[in-house]
Amino acid sequence: MERLTWMLAGLLCTAARLLPPGSREWTEAVRAEAGQVPAGWPRLGWLAGGLWLAVREAKMMRMVVYWLGVGMVAATAAWAVRLSWHASPHAHPLVVTDRVRVLVGVAALAGLPWAGRRRGWFGPVGTSITARLVRVGGCAALCGLGMAVVRMDRDIGGGPHGAAPFSLPREIAAGVVLGAALAALAVIRAIRPQTEASALWVLTGMAGVVAFALVPLQALVIVYVAGILAATSRRSPVANASLAAGAMTGLAAGLAAALAVYELNTPDDRYVDLILLAILAITFLLATLAGAAASWLRSGSGDPTDLREARLRQGLLAGSVAGAVCGLVITNFVAVAVFMMIIGPLLGAAGGALGGTVAADHPRSPRAARSWAAGLFVRS
Amino acid sequence: MSRRTAFSAQTLAVLAALTARPSDWRHGYDLARETGLKSGTLYPILVRLADREIVQACWEEGEPAGRPRRHLYRLTTDGLAAAAAALAVAPAPAARAARSGRVARPGRAAAPRRLAREGS
Repeated sequence: MERLTWMLAGLLCTAARLLPPGSREWTEAVRAEAGQVPAGWPRLGWLAGGLWLAVREAKMMRMVVYWLGVGMVAATAAWAVRLSWHASPHAHPLVVTDRVRVLVGVAALAGLPWAGRRRGWFGPVGTSITARLVRVGGCAALCGLGMAVVRMDRDIGGGPHGAAPFSLPREIAAGVVLGAALAALAVIRAIRPQTEASALWVLTGMAGVVAFALVPLQALVIVYVAGILAATSRRSPVANASLAAGAMTGLAAGLAAALAVYELNTPDDRYVDLILLAILAITFLLATLAGAAASWLRSGSGDPTDLREARLRQGLLAGSVAGAVCGLVITNFVAVAVFMMIIGPLLGAAGGALGGTVAADHPRSPRAARSWAAGLFVRS
Repeated sequence: MSRRTAFSAQTLAVLAALTARPSDWRHGYDLARETGLKSGTLYPILVRLADREIVQACWEEGEPAGRPRRHLYRLTTDGLAAAAAALAVAPAPAARAARSGRVARPGRAAAPRRLAREGS
């Protein structure tokens, strides 16, 4: 017992050093008083409470999760580069292009933590545990997808071929056009800040179309990363309940759809139509459920028309989230279902709108009270 | 929907303990014994109260023999008024529990929720 107490006191001393000066004195206060507490379990409990205080004040859990995320992204990037450099054919333009794409992808991944922490559309992450889980889980799923694609490319001995047969001049031309569009955006914003937002959006859209034609999968991943960061940021229009409903039903839909594919798949592709129908039906039904749940959970007072609109909007958003999550999950299991990353959110939005409309007139009654701020206050 | 903010039962217990001897500087273990709160509940409450300038904190002066210097706490002038007001409007069972230092199951959310229901 004494040894354990001594160890905990040492741990508390180390934890105190990690805290900013304003918070450090509080853990030092706990440590200073530990000698007054009777030895044995009471003292151990006192020191454990101090350690809990240090964890809370330093927001250590958040730091641990953040650095785990950064480590995961770095490991994925390193693995992708390694696989790409060990591809079998050498000195072939296709392989060289593939490597360049991998490097560009790795650079984009390196920018992820930066974009996620910057104040704006994509960050910082929302305060709820749901937002954090969805952000971490979504980025992990995208990393998994990237690794699966690189592995697949290596096995077939080539790079991602894009929408058309490989052509080096086309690749170079598209790259130049994309780079020029992005540079033009930056230049216009720097020289003429008063330029209308719609003009910039048109230019961004054109760059997006070029990117999608050149590297469809990478462009899709970028859109997903942007979507995940935007949906889980503090400025997100997606309510916490809608995010949770969409993510959970989307996960269930993705797993159910993947199971359907594994169960119905045959070497002669006899049930391919049935598989497709099952995937689409599962996605639509569960997105409808997510939309209904999000709409039902959106409680509040004020103008009934505004409230109804808000419920419909949350239903639509929850359905889109469910469809996107379903598309991402099933693509991780069955790479050929990548089309679901595009169709999923659209189908989910339709289902969510339907569910939201059905549930909009039957909202949940507001909760009576909630506790917050470390048990310091209660709010009703 | 109008929102009301009130102190939790645990915070009321701390405020009641500090209000009992407002001019005295109190240390953490003393407050913990009086309120029955664990250090992991008591200190976050003290941190938040100090952030809101309801409580002032300082280190003990001089070098006491045989023990380290203590961190001491007492209510500020505004804090004393806020604590008196909070204890006056707190529902009777919660206030009684706070004043007697018997906070049911400290650290659990049940007590604040019950307090809120009683207050609404």
